[in-house]
Amino acid sequence: MTVPIPMIGVLPAKRTGPSHWWHGFIAMLRWEITNMRLLLPLTVVVQVLFGAGFVLGIGLFFEDIPSRAALFLSTGATTITLIMVGLVMGPQLVAQQKLEGTYDYMWSLPVPRSAATTAWITLNMIFAIPGMVVALLVASWRYGVDLEISFAIVPAVLLTLLTATLLGYALAHAVTKPEVTLLLTQVLIFGIVGFSPINYPQDNLPGWLAELHEYLPFLPMATVVRGGLTQGLVSNVVQSYVVLSAWGLIALGLVAGSLGRRR
Amino acid sequence: MSGPGAVQTGSSWVFRVEAVTKSYDGETNATDGLTMEVAPGEVYGLLGPNGAGKSTLVKQVIGLLKPDSGRITLGSFDLVEDPDAARQLCSYLPQAQMPIDSFKAREAIDIAGMIRGGPAAEVKRRREEMIEALEIGEWRDVLGARLSGGVKRLVGFAMVTVWPGRVIILDEPTNDVDPLRRRRLWEQIRRMGSEGAAVLLVTHNVMEAEKSVDRLAIINEGKLIAEGTPSSLKADDRGRLRLQLMLHPGNSTPELAPLVRDHVRVGNNLVTVIDEDAAGAGIVWAQDLLARGVIEEYALGATTLEDVYVRLTGHKSESER
Ligand SMILES: Nc1ncnc2c1ncn2[C@@H]1O[C@H](COP(=O)(O)OP(=O)(O)OP(=O)(O)O)[C@@H](O)[C@H]1O
Ligand SMILES: [Mg+2]
Repeated sequence: MTVPIPMIGVLPAKRTGPSHWWHGFIAMLRWEITNMRLLLPLTVVVQVLFGAGFVLGIGLFFEDIPSRAALFLSTGATTITLIMVGLVMGPQLVAQQKLEGTYDYMWSLPVPRSAATTAWITLNMIFAIPGMVVALLVASWRYGVDLEISFAIVPAVLLTLLTATLLGYALAHAVTKPEVTLLLTQVLIFGIVGFSPINYPQDNLPGWLAELHEYLPFLPMATVVRGGLTQGLVSNVVQSYVVLSAWGLIALGLVAGSLGRRR
Repeated sequence: MSGPGAVQTGSSWVFRVEAVTKSYDGETNATDGLTMEVAPGEVYGLLGPNGAGKSTLVKQVIGLLKPDSGRITLGSFDLVEDPDAARQLCSYLPQAQMPIDSFKAREAIDIAGMIRGGPAAEVKRRREEMIEALEIGEWRDVLGARLSGGVKRLVGFAMVTVWPGRVIILDEPTNDVDPLRRRRLWEQIRRMGSEGAAVLLVTHNVMEAEKSVDRLAIINEGKLIAEGTPSSLKADDRGRLRLQLMLHPGNSTPELAPLVRDHVRVGNNLVTVIDEDAAGAGIVWAQDLLARGVIEEYALGATTLEDVYVRLTGHKSESER
C-alpha cells in the first residue's frame, strides 16, 4: 500500500542551515555525476587529446626548440588545458542545457543554489585534472624539459581552475541567451590561444597588448602555474596571485549575482 | 472523487495567487491580474489556448520568473519574496522534457526523491509503487536517452511526485502519453490530492480535465475568463444540446437556423448550441444541410465542458482534434 507522506497538517518549516546545504550539495553532486556519465569518458578523452595535441602541435613549428622555450611551451600548454575546461567547456555544457530547455527543472529543485553551483564547479575542476596531467607528461617526454615541481603547484592549479570555472559559470548564467554564450566561448578560445602570452613570453606581443595582459587573468594563471612547475622561470608570482585572486573575487561576485536572479 | 475544495481536515494552509501580472516585453502581459486559490486536497486545472500564459503563471509560482506585480502565497509563506521556500514547498514538472538522458528511469526517480529530501528507503518504496501504478516497469533500467517521449513524461511525473511538495505543479503531464497510461496517470494525480497536496495542473485536454479535476480556470490572453467546478461551468448550458456539423472542406458557414443559440466555427467544424426542446427541429435542419451537400456529417449530444471552453476561448482543445 501507499506509503503516506506526512502532507496533511501545517506546512513544514523552511529548511536552512549547514546540514541542508550539505545534503543539497551531495545530492546535486550525485545528480551531476550521473548526468555526465555518458559524456564523461568522451570528455576526458577529448581533454587528454587536446592537451597532448596542443603540446605536440606547437612543437612542430620548431626544428630544434631552445630549452627555455620548451619550458615555456610545456607549462603554457598545461595552463591552457585548465582554462579550456573552466572557461569554455563548462559554459558550453550549460548553454546546451538551456537550449534543450532542461534548465527549468534543475532550477526548480529545493536545493540552495549555492550548493548546486558548488557541486557543478567541484566536478568541473576535477574533470580538468586528467587533461592537465597528460599535457604535462607529454610535454616532458617530447621536449625533455626539466620540471622542478614544488608544492606551490597545488594552490596554483586550484586558483587557476577555480577562477576559470567561476568566470565560465558567470558567462553561462549571467548571459541570458545561450547562443551568445556559445559565441563568446569561441571568441575566448581564439583570444586565449592566439593572443595571450601563455605559450610565449609577454614581450612578443605589441606593447599595449602586453600591458593589457597585466590586468587580464590569463597571464597570471600561466605565471602561477609556472611558479609551481619550475624554478626561476618567472619572477612576478606574488603579483600574479594578487591579480588572479582579484579576478576570482570578481567572478564569484558575478556568479553570486546571477544565482538569485529571476527574469 | 473528492468534491470541490476538498480541504483535508487538519490542514491549515491554502495556496493563493493574487493579481499576478507579468510581462516579458513590457508591452503585453503574459499573465494579467490572475487570481486563484487552491486548497490542500484539491486538483485545480489550468486550461487555455497556446500562449494563454499558463506556463508563465506556474513559472512564477516556482520562482523561475518574478511577477511584475501581485502576490503568491502558501500559508504564511510569501513565495515571491522567498523563492527558496517556493522550491521546497512546491514540486514542478516543466512543460519541456526532463534532462534525464544519462539516467536510468529508476535512478532518475531515486535521485530526484533524494534531492527533494526524501529518506532513501521510503523513496525506493514509493518509486516502485509509482512504476507499477504507471505501468512503466519494463523501462525501469532503461536510460532516459532511449525512452519514448511518453514514458519519459511518466518518469518525469514520478520524479516530481515521488517525494512531493505541498503544491504539485504539473505543466501538461499527459503530453505524449498513451490513452491507457493517461488513465493511470490521472489516477495518480488524484491520489496526490487525496494524500493532501494541492495540485495545480496545466492541460489542453478538456475532456480529461472535466472528469478529473475538482475545479478549473480557463485562461485566455493572460486573463482568467472562467473559474469553477466542471459542472458549475456548464451551468449556463443546462437545458441545451450541442449540434455539431462537419462542413465539407472549404465550405463557408451556412446560414444558421433561428433555433441556434450560439455557435463557434473552428476549421471545418461548426459547433452550435440549441435548446433541448428544439432537438427535433435541429435534426431536420441538419438533415437538410446534409442532403444539400453542405455538411459531411452531424452529431447531436449533451453539452460538455469542451463546448464551454470553445465558446469562451474560440479555440478547440486537444481532446477533439
Ligand atoms: N521566454 C519568453 N520570452 C518572451 N515571451 C515569452 C516567453 N515565454 C512565453 N512568452 C510569451 O508569453 C505568452 C504566454 O506564454 P506561455 O508559455 O505562458 O503560454 P502557455 O499558456 O503555457 O501556452 P502553451 O499551451 O502553448 O504551452 C505567449 O505570448 C508567449 O509568446
Ligand atoms: Mg505552456
